[in-house]
Amino acid sequence: MKKPQIAADTRPWRDPDAVPFVRIRNVTKTFGDVYAVDDVSLDIYKGELFCLLGGSGSGKSTLLRMLAGFETITKGTIEIDGQDMAQVPSYQRPVNMMFQSYALFPHMTVEANIAYGLKREGLPKGEIAERVAELLKLVRLESFGRRKPHQLSGGQRQRVALARSLARRPKLLLLDEPLGALDKKLREDTQYELVKIQEQLGVTFIVVTHDQEEAMTLSTRIGVMNDGKIAQIGEPQEIYEFPNSRFVAGFVGSVNIFEGVVTEDEDDHIRIDASAEAGCDIYVSHGVDCAPEQILWYAIRPEKMVLSRERPEGDANIVHGLVQDVAYLGDMSVFRILLDSGKRIHVSQTNVSRYDPEGISWDEKVYISWEADAGAVLTS
Amino acid sequence: MSAGALSSPPRPWTRLGRWLGRLGINGRTAVILAPTLWLAIFFLIPLLVVFKIALSAFALGQPPYAPMFRWGADDSLSITLQFSNFLFILQDSLYANAYINSLRIAAISTALALLIAYPMAWFIARSDEKYRNLLLMLVILPFWTSFLLRVYAWMGFLGRNGIINNMLLGLGIIDQPITMLQTEGAVFIGIVYTYLPFMVLPLYTTLVKLDQSLIEASADLGARPFMTFLTVILPLSMPGVIAGSMLVFIPAIGEFVIPSLLGGADTLMIGRVLWDEFFANRDWPVASAVAIVMLVILVVPIMLMSRAQNAVVETEK
Repeated sequence: MKKPQIAADTRPWRDPDAVPFVRIRNVTKTFGDVYAVDDVSLDIYKGELFCLLGGSGSGKSTLLRMLAGFETITKGTIEIDGQDMAQVPSYQRPVNMMFQSYALFPHMTVEANIAYGLKREGLPKGEIAERVAELLKLVRLESFGRRKPHQLSGGQRQRVALARSLARRPKLLLLDEPLGALDKKLREDTQYELVKIQEQLGVTFIVVTHDQEEAMTLSTRIGVMNDGKIAQIGEPQEIYEFPNSRFVAGFVGSVNIFEGVVTEDEDDHIRIDASAEAGCDIYVSHGVDCAPEQILWYAIRPEKMVLSRERPEGDANIVHGLVQDVAYLGDMSVFRILLDSGKRIHVSQTNVSRYDPEGISWDEKVYISWEADAGAVLTS
Repeated sequence: MSAGALSSPPRPWTRLGRWLGRLGINGRTAVILAPTLWLAIFFLIPLLVVFKIALSAFALGQPPYAPMFRWGADDSLSITLQFSNFLFILQDSLYANAYINSLRIAAISTALALLIAYPMAWFIARSDEKYRNLLLMLVILPFWTSFLLRVYAWMGFLGRNGIINNMLLGLGIIDQPITMLQTEGAVFIGIVYTYLPFMVLPLYTTLVKLDQSLIEASADLGARPFMTFLTVILPLSMPGVIAGSMLVFIPAIGEFVIPSLLGGADTLMIGRVLWDEFFANRDWPVASAVAIVMLVILVVPIMLMSRAQNAVVETEK
């Protein structure tokens, strides 16, 4: 999947002078003695499509609900467009939310749902009708205006919810698992649609999701949340290729992790003794902030490993094992390999040729190797 | 093998079932049969009897009405339908006033009950799940005492030498006891107090089902809390409002005990008129006619309300 280019030339988070549009400062939220959100600080810039990614209970939805004003902040401040939100009730915030359940008013037609926010603004009738028609066109539901929500399919309801949340032209749109209830095909279509609409209107989006693929496809930046804290913030590629912890590496995509001890710590390379888990040394071709004898972890993605029957050249980054299982996924195959050390790893190979009778298969002994810069060294 | 299993000899109950099936009775109708019979014996037939009495002439004796069917000496069957009872009710303004007054008192009581019950139901529905059952129980708690006793208790409160008057006199707020008992106000208090749980419970069931995210969505779209109430909460709780209103309005119209005990002589309600006709005047035909007319008057609002309720339920699917 090719990632659409969103605001390709403007990456304000790389500019130290840029003024963030949403400024979350040391925000904490407790329910009883449970910390739902724990000291989170986050800057989000205008026009961004920011994804809060995390499992259930990671605090991502609570953070979103605090932005919308549905939860009070226990500690810390939230500023939107330079204005402190502490004393602003939800009905006065320049923010709209698209709910996970869509929360469409069941007793109103699609048109009335979309017009609801505009009526509250006290716009004249003609203008409301005009804008509703415009929004229905945007989400391609022109002929469904008179229907009630229960007469729509899941995908149509989702689009009505989107149109309704965009009706007031919010500066910031919050989306809570916007694609969660849709099936896979519809989800992929809608993902691109969301990005298109976001670009078209220039609204800042904050999306909460537990689906890492969705986060990767949609966002300009991702904030990975775990246990109420931000584990890592970065562009999708950064998160995937340069995770800062075992949690992030494991949460975003699949990964093989080897534990080892630093034996050589030089400016231009390090060497890790991972004989217990990998049965070999790991050579990393760049310097790492660590000390000899330190225990650390080496994370490598399945697609960055190479399978071979013959032992490749070199004295490091080569492990040996038995192919236990091959999962054919069409575009690629995932090999489950039991290493001699007893550890199981995944290796994926692109299926370049349509039929390969000589291909590596079940119960074969193979060597697995990788480049010296293929993996990430993690200290936590 | 499988063919043999299919043509196994029919068991006796299969044959019985088939025989009943030919009469149009299968398992499903058998289930409905019991309540149908119950309603027929204890509701439909008595109703027809009352209707019959309403169309009979008054007579001294036992029973106190003339027979409707008479087998004449010349082997003729004469059926006498006495419409004078209904004409009498329509002509004497006492009855019209009683009907109108009953409807008015019932309507006002229903409105008052709704105003009091709605916040209660809302509070219970929005309170912590572990307290909800306790709160609901507190609402139903008064039912553990006899209805009559509770109305008598109100007499103790509202009377001339009642608790409220004594307290106000003792505190020096008033120097003359206020007349509270035997007024229309006392009737409202009695009806609202007695029927409040019937209003709270259906309201509670609709409000507790109300999706919290709809309220949040409304706020998110710029509606102040009161606007949210008017445009989202109230319309979506209409089934509860209608059901609760029906449960209060209908029995309140025919209420007899409360106006007798708490109301004054001028609080004319149809229940009391009915009682007087039956037991004071012993005029069963007119009393039955009063009952039939009341039934007709009640059927109209019941039908309107259930139609409205169906319309609401329709949109919520």
